Amino acid sequence: MAKLVNKQNTQHVVPHPDGGWSVKKGGSIKATKIFERQNEAINFARRISINQSAKLYIHSRDGMVREKYSYNADPNPPIDK
Amino acid sequence: MTQKLTSGVIETYIDNNIFVNCPFDDEYKPLLRPLLFTIVYLGKNPRIASERSDSGENRIDKICELISESRYSIHDLSRLKSEHADEFYRLNLPFEFGIDYGARLFGSDPLNTKKHLILEKDPYNYKIAISDISGVDIKNHKGEPDEIVRAVRDWFYETVGINEADYTKVIWNRFIDFSTALFDNYKDKGLSDHEIVEEIKKMPIAEYLNYVKLWVDEYIKSP
Repeated sequence: MAKLVNKQNTQHVVPHPDGGWSVKKGGSIKATKIFERQNEAINFARRISINQSAKLYIHSRDGMVREKYSYNADPNPPIDK
Repeated sequence: MTQKLTSGVIETYIDNNIFVNCPFDDEYKPLLRPLLFTIVYLGKNPRIASERSDSGENRIDKICELISESRYSIHDLSRLKSEHADEFYRLNLPFEFGIDYGARLFGSDPLNTKKHLILEKDPYNYKIAISDISGVDIKNHKGEPDEIVRAVRDWFYETVGINEADYTKVIWNRFIDFSTALFDNYKDKGLSDHEIVEEIKKMPIAEYLNYVKLWVDEYIKSP
């Protein structure tokens, strides 16, 4: 049986034990931010993932992974003038 | 070479085991997966009827062997109530709890020091369906995966004597990290996301448990 590996630089949208949905960084035992609705958490996590070129995992109510997305930071971001 | 086991070794072995008596169908798996993870995370060894598959083995003999080798037990009796008209009332779970309770009452040391946790979905259903229970810890999980982590974690603190048990939110976030590693393990095998989700849903419980132990050994016991 192969060894399981926890990859670095990941963001997760997960159900929060106190209710709602939280965004947490992979390997962290604390939530970065808690939201009432899952789509609010997904939007927040997607922004962080794009900024950090991170992988985004969306988890189901039972904690298992439901979807995974990979993002690369924009190499030519718009410049504010 | 066969080594004779001393009574101390046997007692340590039994003390480390938790007999888990719960449904093993797909509907219950969203609760079973975090339940098993929490037990392993907190340092105990879950013993379940489906841990090995031997068609020649009598099921009740296997259950009795697990009960006799486990100082602790968790019984999920949340299905005491039929959900549909004409649905059969399944008695395996309360029957197996009865055997375990009897082992505590009539067994010799260390069985007579057994500790049981009964899990229920909602408070007080058991008082109607199985009102004879007394002197047993009963906790509710509300049918929620994170609540089953809380129920088991609190029981470990209160009854099993794990005084430094991590808080529920910590265990839940560790479970999230484990489920991610499990998902990525399949990704490396070239499956699509949807195929991976389905594979994990259908994974035999014994295989799932081996992955949990592997991950806990790697990241929690020797980080």
